Amino acid sequence: MFQAQLRRGRHFAGAAVCAAALFTLTSCGGVQGGGGSGEDAENYPTKTVEWTAPSDPGGSTDLISRAAAKALEDPLGQSVVVENKPGANGAVGGKEVLGREPDGYSLVMLFQSLMSIGPHTVVDDDPIEMSDMDVISGLTVEDYVLVVPAKSDIETLDDLLAKKSVKYGTTGAGTGSELAQALLFGDAGVKAGGIPFDGGAPTVTALLGSQVDVGAVHVAEAAPHLKSEKLRPLAVFAKERIDFLPDVPTAVESGHDVVVDQRRWVAGPAGLPDNVVPELRAALKKAFKDPEYGKFLENNYIGRWEASPDAVVKQVETAKVRYGELIDKFDLDLKTEG
Amino acid sequence: MRTQARLGALVPLGIGALAALAAVSMGLGSPADPGPGLWPLIVSLTMVTLSASLLLNPGTDTEQEPFSRQTTVVVLGALSLVAYTLLIERVGFEVMTVLLLVLWMRGFGRDSWRLSLAVALAACAASYLLFIVALGVSLPHLVAF
Amino acid sequence: MDFLAPALDGFGVVFEPQNLLYCLIGVTLGMLVGVLPGLGPAATIAILLPVTYTLEPASAIILLAGIFYGAQYGGTVTSVLLRLPGEASTVVTAIDGYEMARTGRAGSALGIAAIGSFIGGTVGIVALTVAAPLVAGWALAFGPPEYAALALLGILMISTLSTGSLRRSLLAGSIGLLLATVGRDPLLGSARYTFGSDQLADGLDFVILAMGLFGIGEILHSLERLRQGAPPKPRVGRARPSRAEFLQSRWAIARGTVVGFFLGILPGGGATMSSMVAYTVEKRSSRTPERFGKGAIEGVAGPEAANNTAATSSFIPLLTLGIPANATMAVMFGALLLAGVTPGPQMIDEHPEVFWGVIDSMYIGNLFLIILSMPLIGLFVRVLRVRASVLAPLTVLITMIGVYTIRSSMFDMLAVVVLGVVGYLMKKVGLPPGPLVLAFVLGNLLETDFRRSMRMFDGDVTGFLGRPISATLLAFVVVFTVAVPLLSLRKKLRQPGPPDTPATVPHPDTTTTPERTPDHPRTAAEPGGHNEEPQHPG
Repeated sequence: MFQAQLRRGRHFAGAAVCAAALFTLTSCGGVQGGGGSGEDAENYPTKTVEWTAPSDPGGSTDLISRAAAKALEDPLGQSVVVENKPGANGAVGGKEVLGREPDGYSLVMLFQSLMSIGPHTVVDDDPIEMSDMDVISGLTVEDYVLVVPAKSDIETLDDLLAKKSVKYGTTGAGTGSELAQALLFGDAGVKAGGIPFDGGAPTVTALLGSQVDVGAVHVAEAAPHLKSEKLRPLAVFAKERIDFLPDVPTAVESGHDVVVDQRRWVAGPAGLPDNVVPELRAALKKAFKDPEYGKFLENNYIGRWEASPDAVVKQVETAKVRYGELIDKFDLDLKTEG
Repeated sequence: MRTQARLGALVPLGIGALAALAAVSMGLGSPADPGPGLWPLIVSLTMVTLSASLLLNPGTDTEQEPFSRQTTVVVLGALSLVAYTLLIERVGFEVMTVLLLVLWMRGFGRDSWRLSLAVALAACAASYLLFIVALGVSLPHLVAF
Repeated sequence: MDFLAPALDGFGVVFEPQNLLYCLIGVTLGMLVGVLPGLGPAATIAILLPVTYTLEPASAIILLAGIFYGAQYGGTVTSVLLRLPGEASTVVTAIDGYEMARTGRAGSALGIAAIGSFIGGTVGIVALTVAAPLVAGWALAFGPPEYAALALLGILMISTLSTGSLRRSLLAGSIGLLLATVGRDPLLGSARYTFGSDQLADGLDFVILAMGLFGIGEILHSLERLRQGAPPKPRVGRARPSRAEFLQSRWAIARGTVVGFFLGILPGGGATMSSMVAYTVEKRSSRTPERFGKGAIEGVAGPEAANNTAATSSFIPLLTLGIPANATMAVMFGALLLAGVTPGPQMIDEHPEVFWGVIDSMYIGNLFLIILSMPLIGLFVRVLRVRASVLAPLTVLITMIGVYTIRSSMFDMLAVVVLGVVGYLMKKVGLPPGPLVLAFVLGNLLETDFRRSMRMFDGDVTGFLGRPISATLLAFVVVFTVAVPLLSLRKKLRQPGPPDTPATVPHPDTTTTPERTPDHPRTAAEPGGHNEEPQHPG
């Protein structure tokens, strides 16, 4: 046994020497992948740009990222790779990318629910701030539609609000779906209980099976079922009626001042080199004209919101303040301590 | 063996008790709206009950294995994986992979240096081609195309 | 037979040479990624999405679907050979499959799994072809109360997975339930046991838990034995199941197929539940339940037929309702949207070539898979001939990189190591990992849907009894908790010795007598190993 241990000791020593040698050999070389390393900014872009979708693959965040990244490749002259980094409603991926070197090779898609609703509903000691990022451009806006199962006896928004008690399905805690309905029922003074599901598809499933009385989902998620008349739209939470559903009134028209939508933009870590944002903006402008990208948005009822960086920041801050006021006004308790 | 079985019950007992305390502070809610703490409380109390029962009477089953001197190898093995993870960003995937494999084969498995190095280099190249080249996984690496 | 005409037209799409090729590429890739732990079909499909942009929608979906069900075949391989289940639905396979591999029957286990998968998959597609729209409604009948009742039933079934002490299995299960609560509260979003970490905000990933407790835990455990000189390698044995073995498992395959088809339609956890239910059904209906957990071939055949049929029937809600039933289906859904096809009720009319193309491609794909996998099994089982000192580090490497591929996170890699140490310690103190990971999966479902239900019922528990499906499921729960223990109690009284602990021969102490101890002391002591098969010629 003693001898065996001696021998073992020698093996470990050998491995350690080997390790030290390799370490010195390589520590001067740059390690690729993960974060980007400092390239010369003037010739940007000289290599692949990484676009992080802070969500699982398959959802809106992921799909819009992929459609936009694909359209961006030609005008930018470099490949744009979408990477999924899900977690905490986007906070995990957002924080990670915004914490990287600001070199223009790490971009992330962020959205209004995280920045404007999140602060009112989620307790986070270290939330992402708008000052952590350099916004490059606004991308899209998606509206919410309030729907009931086709079998339901509720025909209009007034029918719904005349009910004594309502069970409404939401797409999750801290989403626009929850906020919009909580505000609507708060404003109308209806006794209503929210049942949060795990995203849009499960909410639609619950609605199709009449598990809940009513629910709010993105227009794209409801569209196939509106067409096949399995679900009936009652209202949209947009400022004005939307093109796809011209006959469906807005909540505002019905006297309830509830406007909630989901807006998305692309950003990089704060402190991007001076020429990177204009370069990316110019390429994105061309990408927005890409016919395939346009078709993708149209097919999925996604609106364009190709706003300037300042407009994005302003929208987010305004929405955050406004949602805060409304939540206070109706005395909603959406925030839960850990 | 008995001591070890008891130890195996004591740890879940402690964790369960702490988790139960934390669960109460999360809020138990009401029947119409069970709070975040209710289910964790039920689960951790179950854990405490089962652990307590095993602590008092470890039973006759002989599924435990004693720790031995060889356990140090396991500790080293686990530490090498931690080191692999922590250093991969600094040194790159290639170097750490070769080091890890050589350590495990030469250090733990007492294979010959020649075999260890050959397998390590081959595995490193193969996983590089598979994960980084073919699948485009963004592992921190040194060699780029 | 008019309604079959479009279905037959679908074959026209499939038999276009390039689509046959995409189908073949898809199932082959799927099988390969299924073998790689960590890298699941969802991630692979996401990686391949850009490649499919240039393809016709039908070709793209044929390719991606092939990856999905091909991965189900491949996932079994690591469960059986290395006890490394890459997905929740193959955890059950690892129990008896790994025991079979340790006794030189890896080829039989993999072979019967492939045959069961082929039969299950093909029957599933036939049912999908003729009845997709009819059974789609079944998914909608399941609301939160039904899911809660189903999950409760599933958690109780975990007790049947125990091979040793029941209390230890239950303790392991309750640890799994507690681990499932880590992360943001699913209804309110408040943090639970996250210690302020964003990385834990969404809870632990199943794959990381399973690969840590099973994979890394097993390897760390094997390190101890590496030191004691080369352990004897397990015999490799035959490369395919014998006729007797097939006859022995035929009813298990049939039952698994039925269970898998109906549970697979349910969004969320359907495949996992189906493999567990199939295992329970086999163990309960067997005349020799004590063989289960020690290499019973029905314990592999039933669950494998079930999870593959479930994989097939999980296409039903996607294609007919536009509802993705699991994470992989969600990516597939996205792929269709990017290709300009909206999955849903209109799809069958608007894009019949895509709808029938993908369904019909599954007939061909399953055929490819069985043809591919039978010879490959011979190759796969040779992995067991690789000396342990080489196999262990290679497995550990693939596992570590595989974990990283899930969400490119170093935190996950550390987590898998920590869980590996936990898995090793659990092995030392005799806590089984299987019940833990399965309880982990079902725990989330039970809690979340129970709380949703209580909100729906305004706090009135009797609401569960007012709904036919949940009431039926709860009746099963009662049968399970009251009737079954009573029956086994009667058995216990009748025969001497508790059936819970059949390992009456004390285990040889591995450290004190290394040279005389075979590598796997438990199987050596088992009376119910493979030599029992000839007793059941069918």
